[in-house]
Amino acid sequence: MTDKPDQLAEKRLPINRREFLNLAWLASLGFLTLDIAGVGYLFAMPIFKEGEFGGVVNVGTVSDLPPAGSPPANYPKVKVWLSNTDQGAVALYKVCTHLGCLYNWNNQEGKFICPCHGSQFTAEGEYIQGPAPRSLDKFAISAVNPQTGEVLAGPTPGPLPLDGLPSDALIQIDTGDKTQGAPKS
Amino acid sequence: MLKSLNFQDLRKKAGSAIDHRVRIITAGMGLDELRAVVRGDPPTEKPNPRYKVHTTSFLFHIRPRYYEKGSTILSHTFRLGFFTAFFFFLELFTGLILMVYYTPSPGAAYQSILELESNVFFGQLMRDMHRLGAEAMVIFTALHMLRTYLTGSYKKDRSFTWLTGVILLGITLGLSFSGYLLPWDQLAYWAVTIGTSMAEAAPIFGEQVNLLLRGAPDIGAGGLLRFYLGHVVLFPLLAVLVISIHYYKVSREHGISLPAKYEEGNVSAEVKKNAKSRLDFIPDLLSHEVFLTTLGLLAVVAGIVALGYSAPLESHANPQQTPLDTKAPWYFWWLQGMLKLGDKSVMGIILPTILVLVLLAVPYIDRNPHRSLFKRPWAVSIGILSVILLIVLSYMGLPTYGIEMPAATRIIQDVAPEEGPGPLYEVPFDQLQPGVYAVSENPPDELCPQIDFGCPVFTEVFHGYNDDVIHASTAEGLEPYQQLPNAEAVMVVEDWQNDLRKVTMRITWDDVESGESTTYEKHVFIHRNSGGE
Repeated sequence: MTDKPDQLAEKRLPINRREFLNLAWLASLGFLTLDIAGVGYLFAMPIFKEGEFGGVVNVGTVSDLPPAGSPPANYPKVKVWLSNTDQGAVALYKVCTHLGCLYNWNNQEGKFICPCHGSQFTAEGEYIQGPAPRSLDKFAISAVNPQTGEVLAGPTPGPLPLDGLPSDALIQIDTGDKTQGAPKS
Repeated sequence: MLKSLNFQDLRKKAGSAIDHRVRIITAGMGLDELRAVVRGDPPTEKPNPRYKVHTTSFLFHIRPRYYEKGSTILSHTFRLGFFTAFFFFLELFTGLILMVYYTPSPGAAYQSILELESNVFFGQLMRDMHRLGAEAMVIFTALHMLRTYLTGSYKKDRSFTWLTGVILLGITLGLSFSGYLLPWDQLAYWAVTIGTSMAEAAPIFGEQVNLLLRGAPDIGAGGLLRFYLGHVVLFPLLAVLVISIHYYKVSREHGISLPAKYEEGNVSAEVKKNAKSRLDFIPDLLSHEVFLTTLGLLAVVAGIVALGYSAPLESHANPQQTPLDTKAPWYFWWLQGMLKLGDKSVMGIILPTILVLVLLAVPYIDRNPHRSLFKRPWAVSIGILSVILLIVLSYMGLPTYGIEMPAATRIIQDVAPEEGPGPLYEVPFDQLQPGVYAVSENPPDELCPQIDFGCPVFTEVFHGYNDDVIHASTAEGLEPYQQLPNAEAVMVVEDWQNDLRKVTMRITWDDVESGESTTYEKHVFIHRNSGGE
């Protein structure tokens, strides 16, 4: 039993030219397959244009925002809930971190509740309960001088403090710059 | 000259010419042989011309020459594999017809389904058959697999056949799931959103997979086209390829397994010999298949016409609004149940992947050579446990399990769901008498005494609503979110327009935490033509 592998090893012939060339040919076929897979991947992968979802969006001036502590405002076109909390404004990506359903603001309970699996989040996007793995994702938010385009505050994923900003400052949300929420503890 | 026109001779010549042509067309069987087949006589020539057909005809080449008699016992196979294939071909056929009217674009898809259901002869029947066939194909694939597992038919020669079968299970689920999106209604849109989000849970490449599937961050025109092409081209091609491999193994290599008792049981040599005797494809198996095919068609049509199965169609897809109680297709409920149990990437991707790998490797893991149920206690108990686990997990995947929906929302959703059928929508329009109906401890037995025959259906629906509110208001031991302290509730029916009534359900209660009076209400509009019969 034990000497069988040795016998095999003895019988094994050294690699000859044809075998080497054939192996090289097979390897190159393998690389070709990889090439085709890569090209196929790139071909099938969608590309986003600027200005569409994924670009920077103006949501109005500071004075347009709902007062602090009021229910969050819905911006359906850019998939954002803009929440004005005591710490400042946050732009929450309106897709539940669980399985991609759109959560809604529940006014009675004062929190976001997802209709699919019941995950709940505070107005700031913090995880309360449910199957979601983490707090809500946030987009970078900044305040810009409407005349000069000078950035007055931000961009920041966290709350953007509104105190001290001129009331005509433009609030911009960069929907291409998403920060994942903190995992639930 | 006259001699060569001998009538007998001419008849013989014509007869043999016709016989020759028939032999070419049937690929081996002459007129006498055909007659013998119809009469149930044994083959007329040697070698057996019925076997010659299997060598010379392409279509018969991929069919078996014979199966062993013992393996065709109904209680051994239940014809589950046959019906899986039957439903696949039914899907190909009805799918091809549906493609004539279907347009895969978000602007036109839903419209084309409506058109198909209301303005095409047998359009609704075709769609119902396609949908019912799809559900049945998933069920029969699973049952076929369970049967193969329990009879130990995956062992030895059949291990590779089992492996292709597991791949076919995946392809079947892919076919079914990719078709789910096509009607472009709320059911389709959100079930597929949830389904593709599960893919996103995969570590590292999850987001890329999701983008490749959806064609954009959200499902849109690109995603619909991708799912459509997957449904009508990619998956059917894969299915035909793998089914061919799977079936060829069975029909030409190892046949259907014999029941274990004939192989290893304590039976006489004569019984064994009889079990191994041949049952020829022509004519026995062939006529049995024709019979099963018509039986299957009858069952599908009866399921639709007599039992009232109909393919669901909800309102037009709205990417801005997720309806309450959204769930994945039923054959993924177990996955949803698992997702409720823990981390998305462990439960949604890693565990299912391990599961699939184990399933693929079953013949290589299970080295027990026996096939009888009683000689494989471990394999059988693991199999039964997995089935039970699957059912429990599926139950946990339901939206009613483990989701803390506030009581008022739950109660009204149960009476009149945002999407799909619900008790209120089944109420005949004339029973929906305008009025204000208040919830109380003792609701009236008959809501509309002013009508001769009363309104039994509406009364029943209202009693359900009434009892739910009273239960939430008075029952002990409920979770805080299930309670409605001091609840007052009404159901108001108003005449809104000609043949249109508005139903308002309003529940007012004291919030459990703050004690403040809180109200939840919902309006539903019901048209004479939209409700029950």
